[in-house]
Amino acid sequence: MGLQAYLTLAAVVFCIGLFGVITRRNTIGILLGIELMLNSVNINLVAFSRFSGDVTGMIFTVFTICITVTEAALGLAIVILLFRIRRTVIADHLDLLKG
Amino acid sequence: MTDAGLHTLIALLLHALSFLVLAVVFPFRRLGRPAAWFSILCAAGSLVAAGIAWNHGVGTVSRVVWTWLPSGGQTLATVGVLADGESTIMLVLVALIAFLVQLYSIGYLSEEPPASLGRYYAYQALFAFSMMGVVLAPNLLQLFICWELVGLCSYLLIGYWYYKPEAARAAVKAFWTTKAGDVGLAIGIVMLWRQAGTFDLTEMRVLVESGALPVAGLSIITFCIYLGAMGKSAQFPLHVWLPDAMEGPTPVSALIHAATMVTAGVYLLLRLEWLFALTPDVLVIVAWIGAFTALLAAVLACAQDDIKRVLAYSTVSQLGYMMTAIGAGFATAGFFHLLTHGIFKALLFLGAGAVIHAVHSNDLQHMGGLARRMPQTTIVFLIGTLSLAGIPLFGGFLSKEEILGAVWAGGLVGPFALLMLVAFLTAFYMFRVVFLAFFGTRGLKASGYQTTGSGGPALAGSTAGSTAPHSHDVGGGHDHSHVPHDPPISMSLPLWLLALASVAIGLYFMVAGPALPFGPAEPEFEAPGWLMPAAVGVAVAGILLAWLTYQQRTINAASLAAAFGPIRHAALRKFWLDDLFEGLYGRVLLAFSRLIGWIDRYIVDGVLNVVSAWTLTSGDDLRTMQSGRAQDYVYGVAVGLVVVLIWVRLG
Amino acid sequence: MNGEALAFWALATVLVGSALAVVLTKNLFHAVLWLALGLTGTAGVFLLLDAEFLAAVQLLLYAGGIVTIVVFAIVVTERLVGERLSQTSRHLTAGAVVSIALAWALVSAVWQRPLAIVRAPMAEDLTQIIGDTVQTRFVLPFELLALLMLAGLMGAIYFARPED
Repeated sequence: MGLQAYLTLAAVVFCIGLFGVITRRNTIGILLGIELMLNSVNINLVAFSRFSGDVTGMIFTVFTICITVTEAALGLAIVILLFRIRRTVIADHLDLLKG
Repeated sequence: MTDAGLHTLIALLLHALSFLVLAVVFPFRRLGRPAAWFSILCAAGSLVAAGIAWNHGVGTVSRVVWTWLPSGGQTLATVGVLADGESTIMLVLVALIAFLVQLYSIGYLSEEPPASLGRYYAYQALFAFSMMGVVLAPNLLQLFICWELVGLCSYLLIGYWYYKPEAARAAVKAFWTTKAGDVGLAIGIVMLWRQAGTFDLTEMRVLVESGALPVAGLSIITFCIYLGAMGKSAQFPLHVWLPDAMEGPTPVSALIHAATMVTAGVYLLLRLEWLFALTPDVLVIVAWIGAFTALLAAVLACAQDDIKRVLAYSTVSQLGYMMTAIGAGFATAGFFHLLTHGIFKALLFLGAGAVIHAVHSNDLQHMGGLARRMPQTTIVFLIGTLSLAGIPLFGGFLSKEEILGAVWAGGLVGPFALLMLVAFLTAFYMFRVVFLAFFGTRGLKASGYQTTGSGGPALAGSTAGSTAPHSHDVGGGHDHSHVPHDPPISMSLPLWLLALASVAIGLYFMVAGPALPFGPAEPEFEAPGWLMPAAVGVAVAGILLAWLTYQQRTINAASLAAAFGPIRHAALRKFWLDDLFEGLYGRVLLAFSRLIGWIDRYIVDGVLNVVSAWTLTSGDDLRTMQSGRAQDYVYGVAVGLVVVLIWVRLG
Repeated sequence: MNGEALAFWALATVLVGSALAVVLTKNLFHAVLWLALGLTGTAGVFLLLDAEFLAAVQLLLYAGGIVTIVVFAIVVTERLVGERLSQTSRHLTAGAVVSIALAWALVSAVWQRPLAIVRAPMAEDLTQIIGDTVQTRFVLPFELLALLMLAGLMGAIYFARPED
């Protein structure tokens, strides 16, 4: 399969993840969508790296994975904190910055 | 600069000096009589200078100008004097009447408080200066400025007794009515400048005579200029201010409303004769309006009881005469009449002033038999009346002949007929005044002075419907002994001078023929042989009718009045012209301004209010975009991204 | 169709299917499990692309680590299950429209011009190369990454500390 196939796959997964971010009420559900989006980015990177013969893309992917993990940990910590304070994880209820 | 130019400048500036001193140095002005004598002195000097200028100015043209408004390398407007035959002789008239009136006023206004007297003389000086500015103006811009100043002085002088509501109203009316004409003048001047490229009269004349001025659209320009003349020279329908202007002191009426300001319109048309010659259709309008005005005013004069009103309407009528001559194409004839009329009308006004001063009333009904008590006044007034009626040997005779001849030669038969009728009426109403005031045995009412002879029957036909006479105009008068007498020397001297001048002019022209010291040397037209006898005959007929009615009582005045019932009734209402103007102004104009106000409040402001309200509501609606939820913002970002991508894809 | 294509299609189906399940299922816990499946599918894709090291890392960190974390978070908080999708998701139509539009835009951009079909030659032992490159060429980002992870670790501990 050519490069375009992998890119298409990544694009589709990205958009599904975006859909999840937009629609999910639960904050953790939103985070799951974010994970999907980041995943698709990784697929993109690796595909490009493989088809062009440059290993830099894969190294980039390593870094991305690490950072994603950090971000997920922190995000979930925040969700737990929010739950402690506001007793809710429903994103709709977190609208203090409402105009 | 030649002598003529220099002397006209001196004449002009002497009055300016007088005004400046009186206006600025107010302690001096408040002294009253010293200030008055200073002004009179300046006026005398101005008269001498004007006389010298006339002497030098005949047959020469002297143009003395200074650049006033430079514009792009050229001169847009200048200021200075243009002294030629016409302007110098007009200058002499203005200077003479101004001097005589100022001299007369010392006696007439002797009872005024000093501060008011000083104010009066300041206005007189300003007026003389501005009138001379109009006369001597070398370009239309200066003419217009001085024209407006003249209008201002008229307002100031008519409303001299400003604490009287009628005077204040009359002053405003004069100002407004002439202003209506002045708008036309301003428009005409600007349009003319656009066509000719210059304001200067000399340059413009060169353009016109070389045929370089495009004639297309010139009719509108000359008509607009004529509108200005219409206002100042009291042509129908802008004549309504002149009778009301009699609220001012009588010397003011003599100066402004007989000899100088009202003649400014005629003078303007004379100055621009060569321009108007290019638009004969406008000239026809001028002639017809002039003739109609003459007739209208003459009819109105027959129904007046106030002696000053009679003279006012007479002035309007004579101005119509002059305008008709100009409309016929012979402006010189009109100008000639202007000069003679200036003298004898001023004489008549000043004489009327003497009468009013003596009798303490303007009402003809209160007068009668004054010839016995005031012989000097009677003689000079009679001289003036004979001049006005156009009797040979007196001043107005030849000028009236000239006008009638000019109108006939111009082929305007209609106006000619009207003017002949007016000549008859003029003689009639003037001699009515003479017989009522100086002869006869009337006047036993308010004045209470005794005359010999029995009191006659009530003079029917002069009902109280005519404009109410006032007795305020008297200069306070001496102790009210109510015995009328000739005026003091300060007042009678000008009277005699004017009377002598009038007779002198009459005799001179009888001898020398109609050879004017300016204008074409040869007469421009030949009057038909029957003209002179016809004109004189018409005048004599008028005198005869007046004599029969008011002196001999052969014809009953009441039945005479009844014969012209409807006309008389309309005349007493001034042909409803005043009401028309008032209605026009009061209803139409004010309604229009109310409409504009409504539009301003609801439409103009309404638009703004709608815009601001819309801003507020849309702001409120847009506020909901900020929900505070991060998800919605991500959604927004995604939408934006999609839009951008699609745009890039498509573009 | 050769083996690689078959594998690709299989993995693609798994991946897309599980992604859809993640975002559309009503039960949050099920969503997490589907995510785990999806992440495993991604590891498979990496294997297909000769990135063995990355596949291993993916499995370890993502499928293992993150899923565990998420499960813990779910346990600590509440609201797992909803009866209807609308209880767990909102603005479905709008979201769908935007997502589909974006997908279309991206895919059409990808397919605009022919890209590489044949893989470029790469070394056999990618792991070795990755290791070498990280320690030489990319040592600075590597160290910074370590710093970042330390900061994140400390932050997470701070956030989740017990209330005093």
